[in-house]
Amino acid sequence: MAHHKRSDAVFRAIADPTRREILSLLRAREQTVGEIASNFRMSRPAISKHLRLLRTAGLVATRQFGTAHVCRLNAKPLRAVNDWVRDYETFWSATMQDLKRYVEEHQ
Amino acid sequence: MNPIVQEITIKASAERIFEALTNPGERMKWWWGAKGIFEITHVESDLRPGGQWAMRGTGAGGKSIAVTGVYRTIERPRLLVFTWLPDWQAEATVIVVRWDLEEKDGVTTVRLTHSGFTSEGYRATYRGWPQILSGLQSYVER
Repeated sequence: MAHHKRSDAVFRAIADPTRREILSLLRAREQTVGEIASNFRMSRPAISKHLRLLRTAGLVATRQFGTAHVCRLNAKPLRAVNDWVRDYETFWSATMQDLKRYVEEHQ
Repeated sequence: MNPIVQEITIKASAERIFEALTNPGERMKWWWGAKGIFEITHVESDLRPGGQWAMRGTGAGGKSIAVTGVYRTIERPRLLVFTWLPDWQAEATVIVVRWDLEEKDGVTTVRLTHSGFTSEGYRATYRGWPQILSGLQSYVER
């Protein structure tokens, strides 16, 4: 059940509803920071802060286009989440087998 | 992607299984016992809503490990819900483990549901987690 510090940033990034919403918006297409911010009631600096965190996690990439910053989704780091879930499936399956064996032998 | 759900059928009463899950002495005997990779040396269990539980032991390479959590729901012997916080894992993750025990004719169906992980600070938002992953999984897999 290896879990690396590197993926902590990914888990932290997707733990927040606003950041999940931003990721959903970017699934459709690339968007500028302004376009993203227009979907939320919070201030643009607040949205920029969320985007910074998503960038740190490697989930969002930005490029300069004229005066605007265009953001796009990079879903690759989410693979860490998938691996994590898969590890746990194996873990729980083994744990339940242990429970069954023990209880059936020790009534 | 939905929460992890697993089911197993055990030839024993729900009460017997509930005891094996919550009694410290019992838990020590079976949890990880069969694999020999981990050795549990200490189990605590304050079985009441909000009560703490802990398992400590030795993992691969003699490294000490600990898993702690808090009991959230206790409806003996049908339902047990607790949080699960392993010390070898990101502090950003909180897992909720739910055990449903359904006894019929001396046989109990045990269903485990592992859901939600989020930072402690965002504990309340964990319900939104499965939806986001279902949408993003397709991106991961392509």
